[in-house]
Amino acid sequence: METFFTTSDKIQHIIKSFNLTKTLFVSSIIIGEAHTGKKSLARYLFPDTPLVSGENQEEVKAALENHDELIITDFEKLSNQNSLDFTNKRIIATANYMGNPQLIDTLFAFIYTMPPLKDRPDDIEYLKKLFIKEACSTLIIDKKEIDTDAIATNLTSNTESLKKSVYMHLMKHSLNATEIESILYEYLLKHLDGNDGYREFLGLYEKPLIKAGLKKFGSQLQLSQVLGINRNTLRKKIHEHNID
Amino acid sequence: MNTTSINFESFVEWDTNPFILFNNQEKILYLNNAAELLFGYVSKKELYDIAISYAPQSFGYKTTSLSLSYDSFSFHAITVGYENEEQISIRLYYTPRIKHTEKLETTKFITTDINILLEANIALFKTKNQNPLTLLTDQDLPPFKIDQNNFSKLLRKVLDTFRSSDSINISLKLLIGQHVIIDNKKEAIVQLSIQANGRYADTDNEIHNFAAQSHIKCILQEHSIKLEIPLIQE
Repeated sequence: METFFTTSDKIQHIIKSFNLTKTLFVSSIIIGEAHTGKKSLARYLFPDTPLVSGENQEEVKAALENHDELIITDFEKLSNQNSLDFTNKRIIATANYMGNPQLIDTLFAFIYTMPPLKDRPDDIEYLKKLFIKEACSTLIIDKKEIDTDAIATNLTSNTESLKKSVYMHLMKHSLNATEIESILYEYLLKHLDGNDGYREFLGLYEKPLIKAGLKKFGSQLQLSQVLGINRNTLRKKIHEHNID
Repeated sequence: MNTTSINFESFVEWDTNPFILFNNQEKILYLNNAAELLFGYVSKKELYDIAISYAPQSFGYKTTSLSLSYDSFSFHAITVGYENEEQISIRLYYTPRIKHTEKLETTKFITTDINILLEANIALFKTKNQNPLTLLTDQDLPPFKIDQNNFSKLLRKVLDTFRSSDSINISLKLLIGQHVIIDNKKEAIVQLSIQANGRYADTDNEIHNFAAQSHIKCILQEHSIKLEIPLIQE
């Protein structure tokens, strides 16, 4: 069975409440930011329950007629919320936001709020490790080569941005020169245009070169020696690319 | 008919409305059965003071409409009377139980262990609040029929009124010897009582509405809410 990892007290209480009402015919809704695990939680608690998305109104209507137990995701997208009848049904809905609070209040007996990932530090660590493991296997990277602490933890859109930042980091650190060339090739193929292309796209190479050089060697004098160019030329280029 | 030969005392004794006779020293000279029950919830002094305040100006009897409530006892009128300087009597009239006009939709009712619903609602409450909370429940309560969804909404509303309260005490018990008639059937009553140092009253109307839908009597007070739930088994 799929597991749902969390150390958050709030979510533990949600799970407890759901486990108690599992056999009862009550309507529940989990409301919280996108990508906080609402759907995974519903699936974990009700693995065999049919699932429909609020994006498809007709499908929800039909499912309500045919099933006594139903998971409705994206509930906020349903436009006919006030015509729904949940009498003697076990409904588990998820929504990214409340929408009409009064309507939610009359439709649902149990209204849960899913805490955002930033309020669940232990869950962040767990998910980060999980994503790293997953990414390493997908991208065929040796896990030992990775400095996991260096991976930025971007939580702006919860698990989605966290996952993205893990994958991006691993991609960036595992590319060889040929792969970088081919990325540039694809990029230029798409964007190259106009009459000043050479100067315009040179930055793609020069900017990271100078930035990395400054970070690595500290002073402009030393960097100009490493790069084998004149100090004044380097300074001009720093100015040109607005590098601090 | 010669009424003087009939002794009326036992009629008063067994009246369901409380009757008390005081002397002018605030001492109780007589009280009927119903009054005895009431004294579990109100002091002698308070009732004596009420009797004095509402007494007619001269000898005789006066009935006043007012609204009085002590715990789950509520009264809509009193009669105060005296025939001499030494004794004064007060009789309190129970407010009739509100008769539920809408018929119970028993098709929606499912046999339920109320303890589960209560615990699930407490878990929901704990996702939002950290208030200390005690629960005293009767695990031997038999499962009974209830509209699970409606009752859950009612519980959520009720608990929400205690969102800022300290030391919330919840108890669930069978009210021994009390019954309610629903569809010509006598049903036992389960009482859910929630007490704290205070509560919000902003959703009291909604609580009344949800309770009425399930024929639950609710007693909303400053520090507590009591729900009297009919224990319907068939």
